[in-house]
Amino acid sequence: MTRPAYRPFSFFGGKGGTGKTTCAAARALALSEEGIKTLVVSTDPAHSLADAFDLSIGEEIGQIAPNLWAIEIDAETEAQKYMKGIQEKMLHIVSPVIVDEIKRQIEIAYSSPGAEEAAIFDKFIELMEQLNSPYEAIVFDTAPTGHTLRLLTLPEILGAWLDHLLEKRARAVELMSMVAKYDREVRQKLESDPITDILGKRKAKFETARRILTDPALCAFYFVLNAEKLPILETERAVRLLTKYGIPIGGILVNRVIPEGAGDFLEKHRLAQQGYLRQIRETFASLPVTEIPFLETDIRGINELDKITGLLKNL
Amino acid sequence: MELPEKGNEAEKEQSVLESLKEWVSGMLFGSFVEIGTQAIRKEAFDINDNLMLLLFGDFLGIPNPISYYTLELLPYVAEELVPWERRMQNRKTIVAEKAGQYDFG
Repeated sequence: MTRPAYRPFSFFGGKGGTGKTTCAAARALALSEEGIKTLVVSTDPAHSLADAFDLSIGEEIGQIAPNLWAIEIDAETEAQKYMKGIQEKMLHIVSPVIVDEIKRQIEIAYSSPGAEEAAIFDKFIELMEQLNSPYEAIVFDTAPTGHTLRLLTLPEILGAWLDHLLEKRARAVELMSMVAKYDREVRQKLESDPITDILGKRKAKFETARRILTDPALCAFYFVLNAEKLPILETERAVRLLTKYGIPIGGILVNRVIPEGAGDFLEKHRLAQQGYLRQIRETFASLPVTEIPFLETDIRGINELDKITGLLKNL
Repeated sequence: MELPEKGNEAEKEQSVLESLKEWVSGMLFGSFVEIGTQAIRKEAFDINDNLMLLLFGDFLGIPNPISYYTLELLPYVAEELVPWERRMQNRKTIVAEKAGQYDFG
């Protein structure tokens, strides 16, 4: 069996309800059937991945078919784990009085709008670092468009910001050690500055993510949309933004395309879709466009998914 | 029998000399070096305060794009955080603060 060419990381983005998860599941299944060890990752709290496979999938990686593993990430749980880790670390370092004071701050940050997004991104990086041990491909079913895009552009914005912070800290440490010339204890403390250390590690992590996400040999972003007017405009905007940040786009998947001979009732709808399909092909002329037919029933379970794996094998 | 006492005497002399040396160097440090380093120390504190503001500005109500990630620094700056917050909230004017630094009276 010859393996199809594939990129180890693929992301499926698009509006909610367009069938991202189904496409991600079918893509992962297609790869696994070609003998590629594949992990499929869902961030949907509504367990749509479990629905697509008609199997129960947990927050830990579990095997669901030959060469196929799956995991459902819950942003809230991930964020909680992170906060707990910090609190525990604090108990070892800081006096109990301060801990109480700081707990309030942690709660504020926990409810900040970016927290869950950041938690998911952290988990993504953690999973991506596991490439080839043993997963040869990782398929992500990402959150809806705007959200996902911000997530993916974070590394660049944060990189610049962290640089600035590191510079400031370095300057402060330099000045402090100048002053502490006569104080050996302070000087030693400054030599192994945990703040510089942590900021540096964070920066390295973002750089890894950034490197992977902008490498066309490693990663591809697919847009799933239905043949309608509004999603075309939105996808166009999203494509432009990703291109600006140098994130490679693998293609456009048009889901639920009504096939010919679907009956009189759907005929008018079908003709309208054909019009939008032409528009999609014109708008995204430089990208491969894959049509996925509208099936008689919802796609649930591996047998049903197999009906569309052929289309997604060679993305 | 005489020798140990003589030794004691020498030791005593030595320790007096040591503390005198320490006192003199402390005195010199205080009257010359200390004044010079005060400005640098102030500058270091200022930069560090600004850094804290960038890291934990959201505690004061200034939105921070990555407050989630800066949280992992908390255990290491926790002791500084409370006085910093007080300092930031008590800031009256930046001009007065800067003037104070140069000892205008």
